[in-house]
Amino acid sequence: MTEDTLSKSEAGEVVANDDSLQPNVDQTTKSDESSELVTEGDTAADYLEGLLDIIDLDGDIDIDVENDRAAVAVVEVNSGELAQLVGEDGKVLDALQELTRLAVAREVGHRSRLMLDVAGFRAQRRKELQRIAASAVAEARAAQEPVRLDSMNAFERKVVHDAVAEAGLNSESEGSDPDRYVVISPA
Amino acid sequence: MLAEALDHLVRGIVDNPEDVSVKERTHRRGSTLRVRVNPQDLGRVIGRGGRTATAFRNVMAAIAGSDSVRVDFVDGSPQ
Repeated sequence: MTEDTLSKSEAGEVVANDDSLQPNVDQTTKSDESSELVTEGDTAADYLEGLLDIIDLDGDIDIDVENDRAAVAVVEVNSGELAQLVGEDGKVLDALQELTRLAVAREVGHRSRLMLDVAGFRAQRRKELQRIAASAVAEARAAQEPVRLDSMNAFERKVVHDAVAEAGLNSESEGSDPDRYVVISPA
Repeated sequence: MLAEALDHLVRGIVDNPEDVSVKERTHRRGSTLRVRVNPQDLGRVIGRGGRTATAFRNVMAAIAGSDSVRVDFVDGSPQ
């Protein structure tokens, strides 16, 4: 339907103004990709809002797109109120993310890589990991030897790989879950 | 409240939400939630290696707080 309408208006513009055609097409393609991620975020927000209503907890829901993924964050209104939805080491948050991805997948018809955060848990963990990565990078540079970090989950390793790459060094994951860890190589 | 929360979470991920029902039984030290789903959705709510069932249990345990909660999934096909 949308495509039909679009090609008609494009055809009209070809006659009226050739220059305007190309930028319009680019814009449409880009917005199609991100609108899919926005749909993922909206579906996740409905699912989570429904849960918060039932269990009578307050939370503001932020929807964003980061690194080609939908990113949904449940932000605390009253400090400490959402701690139970994070759990020890983010275990409950991971479970909630898993279920939210399944709810989104049912709606959009394919797997979702949506990232969920609750009460800033992942944001804070990301900062800690960036500090860990920075000191390991310094150590690898100084010693000119590979540095092996503690085992981490997929999200944590990704944050470390990104931080190491930004510092201009290489890193790889070794071992198998749940004991998979990152090794940083000196440049 | 627990049954309603689980009902919402399960309905959101299945193909046949109208076939979902959750019954709660309370015991002295906690409760048991029995989830019935369409037979076609049973695999989905349990997940590979029980991964999805574990996710439901983790979230429900967190919501229940200090009360113990058990979650069972059963095939809800008509007898």
